[in-house]
Amino acid sequence: MNRPTHAKAAAPAIELRDVSKEYKDVRALDGVSLSLAGNRIYGLLGRNGAGKTTLMSVLTGQGFHSSGEVAVLGGNPYENDRVLSRICFIRESQKYPEDFTPLQAFRAAALFFEHWNADYALQLAKEFQLPLKRRIKKLSRGQLSAVGVVIGLASRAEVTFFDEPYLGLDAVARQIFYDRLLEDFAAHPRTIILSSHLIDEVANLLEHVILIDRGRIVLDDDAESIRGSAVTVAGAASKVEPFVAGRTVLHRETLGSLASVTVEAVLTDAERRQAADLGLEIAPVSLQQLVVRKTLAAAEEDSATAAATVMEVSR
Amino acid sequence: MNRVINVARMQLINKWIFLGIPAIIMAGAFLVTLAIWAMIPDTGAAKYAGSGQAVMWYFMALGIQSLTLTFPFSQAMSVSRRTFYLGTVGLFAVVALAISVLYYGLGLIETATGGWGMNGQMYALGWIAAEAGIVQILFYFISMVTLFMIGFWFATVYKRWQATGMLVASIGTAAALLGLVALIMWQGWGPQVGQWFAAQTPLTVAGWAALFCTVLAAGSYLTLRRATP
Amino acid sequence: MIDESRPIFLQIAERIENDIVEATLAEEAQVPSTNEFAAFYRINPATAAKGVNRLVEDGILYKRRGIGMFVAAGARDRLRARRREEFARQYVQPLVQEARKLGIGIKQLTDMIESTYTATQDTTEGSVAQ
Repeated sequence: MNRPTHAKAAAPAIELRDVSKEYKDVRALDGVSLSLAGNRIYGLLGRNGAGKTTLMSVLTGQGFHSSGEVAVLGGNPYENDRVLSRICFIRESQKYPEDFTPLQAFRAAALFFEHWNADYALQLAKEFQLPLKRRIKKLSRGQLSAVGVVIGLASRAEVTFFDEPYLGLDAVARQIFYDRLLEDFAAHPRTIILSSHLIDEVANLLEHVILIDRGRIVLDDDAESIRGSAVTVAGAASKVEPFVAGRTVLHRETLGSLASVTVEAVLTDAERRQAADLGLEIAPVSLQQLVVRKTLAAAEEDSATAAATVMEVSR
Repeated sequence: MNRVINVARMQLINKWIFLGIPAIIMAGAFLVTLAIWAMIPDTGAAKYAGSGQAVMWYFMALGIQSLTLTFPFSQAMSVSRRTFYLGTVGLFAVVALAISVLYYGLGLIETATGGWGMNGQMYALGWIAAEAGIVQILFYFISMVTLFMIGFWFATVYKRWQATGMLVASIGTAAALLGLVALIMWQGWGPQVGQWFAAQTPLTVAGWAALFCTVLAAGSYLTLRRATP
Repeated sequence: MIDESRPIFLQIAERIENDIVEATLAEEAQVPSTNEFAAFYRINPATAAKGVNRLVEDGILYKRRGIGMFVAAGARDRLRARRREEFARQYVQPLVQEARKLGIGIKQLTDMIESTYTATQDTTEGSVAQ
């Protein structure tokens, strides 16, 4: 893949500095700082309600943040037509004008996205078997998602957000989406932000992973560095524990005298040999597992801090 | 500027909302009124009908619709709130102007044909028809824009603060009106107020409406700027 | 096809190496483009590119500007030599370890290897001759 190396590429496509967003009693975003270089496929991962949609809303000027700074394509997106015209964000719960058909929605999109490709939109709609002349409000959940996916892909916007785009799509349609995304991205490199809680399905598509949990960034790294950044060491507890001592433990399970401990570590060959000599089994950790472990570990840390605070107060 | 025009084009993708339904209301009201007049025996007195104004009320509903249904979509189309506002209100102003001119034209025909041959008054209502053409058009235009802005403003309030906002806005408006009436009664200003109303001409009414409309327009815009889809 | 728990670019590089060692990809033959790899394995194009570039840096593949990637002359021999070096550590060591665990003696082990080697010789040689 060729990354365009014009002057603009030096500036990050998206930059957030200490961005927070408070609703009445929740912090939907909590001191988020990110810097995303352009022309990559980013995964915005996290549980439901972790803050993915809030973050994307702020990045597209559709929502508001309480504090911090946001820059997309070099400018604040809020009420900024110069920036907005190069962004596309169809929400998971996107509303369409009453009585609009998919075809009419595409015609509207053609008015606003300068790189819009109408033929491509129709070709995609055909692949998703989207009834073009049925009213959108009468479409199934999957077809509704497909309308958003088609607009997102055919907009060819410099920064395109996909908000849980697979909801209601069957396995075939999801595969079509992933294939078309990769294919079109290869032909027209741009910045894609794919929000998802189905990590296994999208993991291979991603170049970079951002994990958000309760409004905080828990992980922000290249997918390839994450793969293989943790291992599970299993065997006799008496041998596992000294081996993992001093490493960051993400998860620990014990069964009688056996232990299985997931640690953040890239083992050297010497360490692997040592483990083998000790009769320990080393198992790699998938991106999905790592994300689950990281999320849970962050939650645990939080409740531990909270518990400590409570104890402080009650003392 | 281009994007503002494109917002208007987007609002027109579904031609029914801005063009089809108003046309049907106007044609329907006209035909029904004629039919009713035809059934009333001619006594020599003029027959009045308010049905010609029916389409004006539709514009209040239109103000609500164009915001609640199209605003969230316009956000997905990467349109700024300002652009959406200008495009939508601008399109409406053009449609309202066209209908105003049409009203004036129909009023002329009405007068020329002796009230559609039935001595009826639907468009050229006495109080307004006596004014100069330009004043008539201005009056119709501002009336429609005002109704549209009322609907649009209520919709922005709803969009931003949901049902609570609507409730507060409705109760607030009602309370303000009641308070005003109470004040007039309490102060014994009734006769003066009556005289004041009697002294109004279409032109001054249009002036007051324009003022009110400007306040609503500014209020809607400021509310919309902080609304989320 | 792709093992989710190891860096994918390494797996892509290994697959290409395998194809070269097995002579599925002949020397001087053109290698699929990174986008073709990405589409085929359903992986990010940048990841595929990283795998291919690793082989370029290694001198296993070379770039022809504007045309594509090709297998370098002598790549197969170099890969085979490298794999032979790793053979003991990658295959023999765990084999011996497991044999010890099970109480299989050295004589018994070499017998097993010998008989397996002879039994599969025909098929292996067949594929090499291709």
